[in-house]
Amino acid sequence: MTKPHVNGKRVLVVDDGMTTRLYYRDVLETAGFGVEEAVNGVEGLERALMGDFDLLIVDVNMPKMDGYEMIAQVRVDPALHEIPIITISTEAGERDADRAYAAGANLYMVKPADPALLTETAQMLTGVEMAR
Amino acid sequence: MKTVLLERFVQEARELLQTAASGLLTLEREPGDATAINEVFRAVHTLKGSSGLFDTPPLTRLVHAGEDVLQQVRTGAMTLDSNVVDLLLDGLDQVGAFIDQLDRDGTLAGDADRIAAQHAGALRARLGGAETAVVVIADTTLPVAPPEWLAGFPAAERDALLARARAGEALLAVRYTPDEGCFYTGTDPLAAIRDVPDLLAVTVAAREPWGDPVADFDPYRCNLVFTALTAASRDAVEQAMTYELDAVELRTLVAVDAIAAPTPAPDVAPEPESSALLGEAGRHIVRTQLRVIAGGYDAIRLRSTGTLIGNLLRSLRQDALRERWEIALAEAIAAEDLAPVAAFLAALEEGPAPAAEAPPAPAVPLLPAELPASATADTPSAATLPAAAPPGEPRPASKTLKVDQGKIDLLMNLIGELVVQKNALPFLARRAEEIHGSREMGREIKEQFATLDRLTQEMQGAIMQIRMLPVAEVFDRFPRLVRDIARRLDKQVDLVLKGTDTAADKTIVEALGDPLLHIVRNSLDHGIEEPATRVAAGKPPVATLRLRAWQDNDCVVIEIADDGRGIDPARIRGVAVDKGMVTREQADALSDQEAINLIYRPGFSTAAEVSDLSGRGVGMDVVLSTVQRLGGRVSVTSQLGQGTVTRLSLPLSMAVTRIMVVDIGGSLYGIPIDHVVQTTRLDPGVIKRIKHREVFVLRDEVVPLIRMTALLGGRPSAVDAGRGEAVLVCRVEGRTVGLVIDDFREGMDVILKPMTGLLAEVSGYCGTTLLGDGRVLLVLDLKELF
Repeated sequence: MTKPHVNGKRVLVVDDGMTTRLYYRDVLETAGFGVEEAVNGVEGLERALMGDFDLLIVDVNMPKMDGYEMIAQVRVDPALHEIPIITISTEAGERDADRAYAAGANLYMVKPADPALLTETAQMLTGVEMAR
Repeated sequence: MKTVLLERFVQEARELLQTAASGLLTLEREPGDATAINEVFRAVHTLKGSSGLFDTPPLTRLVHAGEDVLQQVRTGAMTLDSNVVDLLLDGLDQVGAFIDQLDRDGTLAGDADRIAAQHAGALRARLGGAETAVVVIADTTLPVAPPEWLAGFPAAERDALLARARAGEALLAVRYTPDEGCFYTGTDPLAAIRDVPDLLAVTVAAREPWGDPVADFDPYRCNLVFTALTAASRDAVEQAMTYELDAVELRTLVAVDAIAAPTPAPDVAPEPESSALLGEAGRHIVRTQLRVIAGGYDAIRLRSTGTLIGNLLRSLRQDALRERWEIALAEAIAAEDLAPVAAFLAALEEGPAPAAEAPPAPAVPLLPAELPASATADTPSAATLPAAAPPGEPRPASKTLKVDQGKIDLLMNLIGELVVQKNALPFLARRAEEIHGSREMGREIKEQFATLDRLTQEMQGAIMQIRMLPVAEVFDRFPRLVRDIARRLDKQVDLVLKGTDTAADKTIVEALGDPLLHIVRNSLDHGIEEPATRVAAGKPPVATLRLRAWQDNDCVVIEIADDGRGIDPARIRGVAVDKGMVTREQADALSDQEAINLIYRPGFSTAAEVSDLSGRGVGMDVVLSTVQRLGGRVSVTSQLGQGTVTRLSLPLSMAVTRIMVVDIGGSLYGIPIDHVVQTTRLDPGVIKRIKHREVFVLRDEVVPLIRMTALLGGRPSAVDAGRGEAVLVCRVEGRTVGLVIDDFREGMDVILKPMTGLLAEVSGYCGTTLLGDGRVLLVLDLKELF
């Protein structure tokens, strides 16, 4: 795997699926992002509060604390009012998307997220200048 | 990247399947266990999500069906009875088989689609028709079968097949209307329709009403129409019916009730003339922000959207647009009104912005007209973009490392080599002293050896720790197994597992599976009674089977205890006599415990009829030999009517074998210390002769003597009259023998190498090891020798 550059942006991936986390890590690191992982909402919240991230990618259905709850809690912290948050879920439902937005997510994607789309989205949300 | 991801998936999937299966068993016992249902659901849900990363639609489809069933269970819409558990477990087993295929071949087998559809269909049939499901139209080149085609099938059969179609299986409906005069052309319509491959169901009906049975019936005119349902492909059907194609109509089978409005994905499909500036991803982001802020004015949400769109424009190098965006945002925040932002977003989404333009883009009609021009200069930017963070150092998320077992084994072997190689140093030191006359050098080598010795020992210990596995590895398969067997036998059994985190060497833990399985099957088959029998005997109808593991010094003890009918010593005696294993007199002389121990004899089996569970031929003798091969012991105690306790005691580790080195005919041999009872020196006077054999008496027991030089060759050394003959007293397969050797040497821990290559067939040796001076030491296998 080549890592052509490091773009200086850090992404926190919160998902209880080990394979899914590896996948995001792979896709995002290839695009130059720094990636950290958390395996459930509680850990995700802790890391989000402590770490200096540019983007959160959050699964919905997770043990201990689900994605909606985690996002809502993240938004309580003034330092995290503006951080872009993507929810990625297996459920392709409008209601789920609206719930995610209501909780404070900025974007809702459906698993499995296409690598190119995920990369482009992550770059756009974090303001990485894209190749022209 | 792909293979690593797939490997990870295989590993994760197996863990999730295990979690799901054990959770299901818990649920079957405690249907209301909310924790368990959530755990099972989440495992299956996560599996579905992960499987979507790979091109394995059948796998995903099957997992999805299981998830839907579990969702209904979770919401209380369905009760989880044993039949549903069976279906789910079968489905999970199939998923496990798919995972094995992926692991082995990197892809699913060719029939995966069909198999998955069958399982998914069976699961979905439980859901009831109301559930919407993915509809896959089997063969889009064919029209859909009209409902009247299906009217002739029995309702249950039809529903089952529709469920399969709903689950995505490609089913075809074949309507065959043979020619009226076909009986004259040698056509057999029934045979023709039966030739359709993968036939699932056939109905026959009359084309026209039969009319009056006497007046109108023409037995030479074919008035039949056949409708067949098949899982075969269109080509296969056409091939089979090739001579009757004119009379055949083919349709795709679609579950009509399943054609519900498909749920639109929230990420709306891009319109054809997608803005070149934003691209698909950007348009989705912008469109979503319109939805996000649509909920009403919310400062936090608005600022988050503000940052995000700012980032987006920065990413696209649209600095001019970004400035305008910040103005619009500031305006909106100041006025607590979403209009400027919404207008900007709507304009941005609709574009078309000139994408090819250089960064200082000319004013495009994006700026909402109603935006007051005054706001440009003095409104502070509310959307402060986060400063670029320092490059993230990806840290490992977990402190547990998963390593392939083969790598550990390799490491273990290498360390074994190192241990042996290290033992050459004292020999080298002696050479330095004696041959090269350098005492100093000898001492330095010895010092180096001491350090190296300590390090290798620590290393060996560390590797052995890595090799330790919890017995849960084997215990975990028993809940499912016990449940399945008990169900087949109509018995009720409560399995209790204790001490599952007791650890032992992986070789031991892995080898435990078969003996345990056999004992547990025996217990379920022969030990535990039917509920009615138990109640009659004053016991609770549900039997208890306990599997318990604990560590006892350097042994791990596994105990299998049931509260069944126990072993009847009288019956054992009878069977042993009937089978000619012992005489009636011998049998009567045995204590009850000794009688019970007869079950270890080869060929012993008391089950009146051979069941497919415990089977024939494999008995406790195999359990005993397996456990003994591992260097362990087995004991069975039983209380008639109260139950049976089987106890396996095994060494914690078998990587290192302790041997005693002996001198036989001038050569050195190793003898596993497990066999050695004691060492003794016999005065020639105490050796007696019985017939042609030499014996001696050891604690009231007559022990035969075996002269090892006669067995292995070599020249016996002269007996030192003052010290007597060196005799190693050993126990081999329950018998005591005295081995006459030339001399005892030291005991040592060695790593045994199996005999390989041309020597693999040589019996009498269990392996070789290297001595410190480089000589090969043969280690004797006493069981094979005698």
